[in-house]
Amino acid sequence: MDSGFRAWGFALGRVVGVAVLGLLVGWAIGHPWWGLAGALALAALSLWRNLYRLEDWLRHRNRMSPPDAGGLWGDVVSQVSRLHRRKQFHKQRMLALFRELRRSSASMPDGVVVLNAGHEILWFNRKAGELLGLRRKTDFGIPLASLLRLPEFARYLAKGDFSSALRLQRRIGEAVWLEFQAMPYGEGQLVLLVRDVTRQAQLETMRKDFVANASHELRSPLTVIAGYLETLSTEPDLPADLRPPVQEMRRQSERMTAIISDLLELSRLEASDEQVAGTEVDVTALLAVLARDLKTRDGKRHEVAVRVESGDRLRADEGLLHSAFWNLVDNASKYTPAGGRITLRWWVDEDGGHFSVTDTGPGIPPEHLPRLTERFYRVDPGRARDAGGSGLGLAIVRHVLQRHGGELAIRSEAGQGSTFTCHLPASRILRQAVALPDESGYAPGQRA
Amino acid sequence: MDTTDFSQHISRRFNEDLERVRNQVLAMGGFVEQQLAKSVSALVEGDSSLGESVARDDFKVNNMEVSIDEECSRILATRAPAAGDLRLIVAIIKAITDLERMGDECEKIGYIGSRLATQERPADKYREVKHLGRVVQDLVHDALDAFARMDAEAALKVARRDRLVDEEYEAIQRQSITFMMEDPRTIRRALDVMWVVRALERIGDHAKNICEYVIYMVHGKDVRHIRIEDVEDALKDGTRP
Repeated sequence: MDSGFRAWGFALGRVVGVAVLGLLVGWAIGHPWWGLAGALALAALSLWRNLYRLEDWLRHRNRMSPPDAGGLWGDVVSQVSRLHRRKQFHKQRMLALFRELRRSSASMPDGVVVLNAGHEILWFNRKAGELLGLRRKTDFGIPLASLLRLPEFARYLAKGDFSSALRLQRRIGEAVWLEFQAMPYGEGQLVLLVRDVTRQAQLETMRKDFVANASHELRSPLTVIAGYLETLSTEPDLPADLRPPVQEMRRQSERMTAIISDLLELSRLEASDEQVAGTEVDVTALLAVLARDLKTRDGKRHEVAVRVESGDRLRADEGLLHSAFWNLVDNASKYTPAGGRITLRWWVDEDGGHFSVTDTGPGIPPEHLPRLTERFYRVDPGRARDAGGSGLGLAIVRHVLQRHGGELAIRSEAGQGSTFTCHLPASRILRQAVALPDESGYAPGQRA
Repeated sequence: MDTTDFSQHISRRFNEDLERVRNQVLAMGGFVEQQLAKSVSALVEGDSSLGESVARDDFKVNNMEVSIDEECSRILATRAPAAGDLRLIVAIIKAITDLERMGDECEKIGYIGSRLATQERPADKYREVKHLGRVVQDLVHDALDAFARMDAEAALKVARRDRLVDEEYEAIQRQSITFMMEDPRTIRRALDVMWVVRALERIGDHAKNICEYVIYMVHGKDVRHIRIEDVEDALKDGTRP
């Protein structure tokens, strides 16, 4: 501030000095005003020259050294060049940081793509380029879904629900599996992690295949054993002391058959993630069949109530649906003590259709609830085996519902009984037999 | 000041419209790619339910075509696009026709695939068909990539590759004739396979058409019905031969 004042004072003094000098020279030659005008013109010229040099330097400041000027001009030049140096310094630091970030992200084992709110590519790392076939120079600003063109992926982005990852084949028939996990940030921007999960997918396929093959192979010998045991147990000449063991063997072989057929059903369900198209299912009739079977199965042990609150039908695979619902009903019958009450209910609201089975059994302690649909998971190992279940029922229910876009909800309180509810999406409800359009990823005229 | 804001607003909306319809075309292309992959896989793996699902889903391709067509008409009517924008719309209207035809060919392959799944499979397990299918799938994929990137150079390269498909098609045709002469019992199946191969060859041609639209879109030159070598020259010296 102080030096600024001094520079201004100096500049003013110089102008005054020049003017006085001009006046004096003019006086000497007899035209004082001409002398003053000439001196001021010279001063203005030098001002113009300095201005020109400053402008020239600012324009080419990366190639030129700052002009050598004194006084006010020198001040301006030094201030500008200080600003410039500071900016360069920050720029260098940002660049270095950016380069580090880019280098570190390039060494990441997973692909990273940053998308803007319109799902256009802002940035991606090298691995993402490899996995998705993106090109560094041309692909910024293009919507990722337009380059990937996987309908499922487009649906995943459009849905906006990124709570779970999406796993899909890069191309059908090609053994490369990718897993996408999007994480939203800011205002609609996304960071997309891409992982190559081919190895895991292969292992999983191997496991599924193994279970399916093993079950299939076990079934044939078991059929023979079960057949002979059945003949043997009805054989009148069988010694009395052998009768109980043979009966027990027969019961156990029946259980094994049940387990194996459940395993096979489960592996069939797992073979595909695709949603089943299905046909129109009359849920009212299905519930009537379930209730009748339940009554014939456990005699008069339980009180059975059926509450059908909607006549709406469901677009589903009837066989699968029956198997899922029956598993729930069967469980309720097994775990509810005699004299208990079992309620089947079917209702429809704006969220979709719901089927529930409520019992007045002993209930399930809360710590078991999250793991209940795992295969062979037992709340009480000893007792469950007595009841004769395969341990796969709820896993089957869960898979059937998944294939219909639905889910299983379990509510239970120890001592109060349990409620198992199947939620089915609204798109599968056929209200008063009026068919809804097919639920597909693409609705004509839909705005992205 | 208000008027300038308004005009910017309109042009931004216009850009968004164009961008959206272009992305819809690519979504449609992605679906057709999937249909193609599924239909070939259905035939080669003998998966009849997969083949049926391809045939069943063809209506979705048709719906997409109709919807994009309507959108294009709306843009033409309300925005009166010019120059590059007009070429984009024209190219899109043409490209979706080709995509829709591809969809039809996929439906055909899926249908034949599901029928052949119930029959005895040949010793070579449709190896040639699988290979041709792969070549055509790559062609379609790269053609759509060129469309997404507006990359005329890549489009030209892809269009040139269509000849490979034609050669492959000829080879399978000759082989099928040999099989039919050796064992007349295979004639029925061989004819079905010929239909499939023919459909794949047609899909390759449609992919080539899409490449030509990309060139038209970028350079404003009509390069249809011209030999590929001449196309390159035409692009270089800027005249139509």
